[in-house]
Amino acid sequence: MSYRVERMTTSGRIALLIGAVALGAIISMPWWASQGLIRDVITLACYIAVAQMWNMLAGYGGLVSVGQQAFVGVAAYAMFVLAQTFGVNPFVAVGLSLIAPALLAVPIYLLLHRLEGPYFAIGTWVVAEALRLVATNMPLVNGGAGMSLRVMTQFSAHERAIAGSILAALLLLVTVGGSYLLLRSRYGIALTAMRDNPVAARSQGVDVQRLRFWIFVAAAVGTGFAGAVYFMVQLRITPPSAFSMEWANLAIFIVMVGGIGSIEGVLIGAVIYFFADRWFGEYGASYLIVLGLLTLMTALFFREGLWGLWRRKFDAPWFPTRRTLVQGDR
Amino acid sequence: MHWIEGIVQGILLGGLYAQYALGMALMFGVMKIVNVTHGDLVILLALIGISFADFAGLGPWSVLATLVPIGAAIGWLLQRAMLNRVVGNDPLPSLIATFGLSIALQNAMLVVWSADTRSLSGGGIQQASIEIGPLFVGVLPLIVLICATLLTGGLDAVLRFTRYGRSLRAASADVEAAAMVGVNPKSVYATATAIAVGILGFAATFQAMRSTVAPADGPFQLIYAFEAVIIGGLGSIWGAFTGAMILGVSQAIGFRINPGFGILAGHIVFLAVLAIRPQGIFQRKS
Repeated sequence: MSYRVERMTTSGRIALLIGAVALGAIISMPWWASQGLIRDVITLACYIAVAQMWNMLAGYGGLVSVGQQAFVGVAAYAMFVLAQTFGVNPFVAVGLSLIAPALLAVPIYLLLHRLEGPYFAIGTWVVAEALRLVATNMPLVNGGAGMSLRVMTQFSAHERAIAGSILAALLLLVTVGGSYLLLRSRYGIALTAMRDNPVAARSQGVDVQRLRFWIFVAAAVGTGFAGAVYFMVQLRITPPSAFSMEWANLAIFIVMVGGIGSIEGVLIGAVIYFFADRWFGEYGASYLIVLGLLTLMTALFFREGLWGLWRRKFDAPWFPTRRTLVQGDR
Repeated sequence: MHWIEGIVQGILLGGLYAQYALGMALMFGVMKIVNVTHGDLVILLALIGISFADFAGLGPWSVLATLVPIGAAIGWLLQRAMLNRVVGNDPLPSLIATFGLSIALQNAMLVVWSADTRSLSGGGIQQASIEIGPLFVGVLPLIVLICATLLTGGLDAVLRFTRYGRSLRAASADVEAAAMVGVNPKSVYATATAIAVGILGFAATFQAMRSTVAPADGPFQLIYAFEAVIIGGLGSIWGAFTGAMILGVSQAIGFRINPGFGILAGHIVFLAVLAIRPQGIFQRKS
């Protein structure tokens, strides 16, 4: 009698196939999609990336942040300065700009991890606010007036669409694919243990502090990547837009409504948020009241989100991370 | 002279921040939760007060007298209807719930009162000042500071010497043990939040008299309250008061260096305290 550990499921294989096809479709967009559609897909990819990074922080790391816009803004600004001020190729600049959030995340974590639970969250908010004020007062980034990415005019619309589509696919691959790989690895077991009970995880030999530190830095880089791509497509950046609370807002809404602690939930939540924003965004304040109340209701009565509801009925994960013991040989 | 004036202005500003910070320190001390709508409630109460003044012709002191009980009622309701469901070891539910409420509240205020900045007329008291030595000190900021000191002392005395204070400290130390000896945590919590938001009635009146309020201002007040609490040291009422003074002085001096630097100076001092003395100025190392 022999046993083996199985992680992949049929639903997982199908999802992987669909994911690969979707990435291929995104990369090939410049040859079949309209400019508007390409822009929408890139925006959606940025939402998914920012939300998934928040999911890793809050859903697994136990680090609730309301200041992820700090990393969106810092990476986007680094990208603008490199490309516009120093003449680096903008697409290379997107890659180089990721150094900024990585370097910044280290001192931020070392300062803020001293704060207990909810205070950590407000602390991240203070940091994002401070960075917004720094950008507003900084001549290098043209202060509160913001910057335009005029260097992009040297590329044709088609070239920009190709770069944007490849970056969007890469962004999804790194944030969603990267999270999936991480959760399937040894570290995934440690993270899941930490999510369920940090004290018990520590007693089993999980170095909770170190793991949290690396999750925080990795989430900063992923969030920054999304910021750099988003503002490269926007072609314009100002301190209030780069360090906007909206980023924290959408990440929290997407993860909570979709279902915290699952990648599937983020995808569902992001699609809902994207279309809600498209269809009801014009109602401004009333739309945001509903969005806020939905977040509130989810936290009060419906903590597992939509994916949790689905999972109760059907056992068919798209990104299976659970290990099951199977008896017998193949 | 220039700098002494800055420090005096800062301490007076700190009086207002202390009124924001007291409630936050109290709620965190008892329940270990942060109410993200803390700042939005200041703005909500201020806007209600301004509307009362406009429609019912109330003076600033009558506005204060109505806002404090309204604040207490809102706090009690908030705790009973919502926060009691999310108090616990996991910080996520309470944070997310109040975060969502904060977005809803800000936008609801935008619908009701529009994005205009408004202020409360104080009937001339805003312009009055008295001469102390070589300095002119505004009467209103002085009243705010005295009020803040009395509120801090009063709250400290309630916690130390009353029956309610004892049950609150018991619930804060060990909620299960407190429940065993006859303390009802849910009603203790509801009273604590009622006190916290009731104090915001003072803050709201003075904020609306000293400067202006607009629906989107709440997050800033939340951040100032938070910085004051952390600078002073967690769970200490007088610590929050001192933290508010330090924050006020940092901002006032920052404003004198460069008007764009004032608020940032406060954030920098907050981060510096976190780096050098994370337990806060007042807290002993545990």
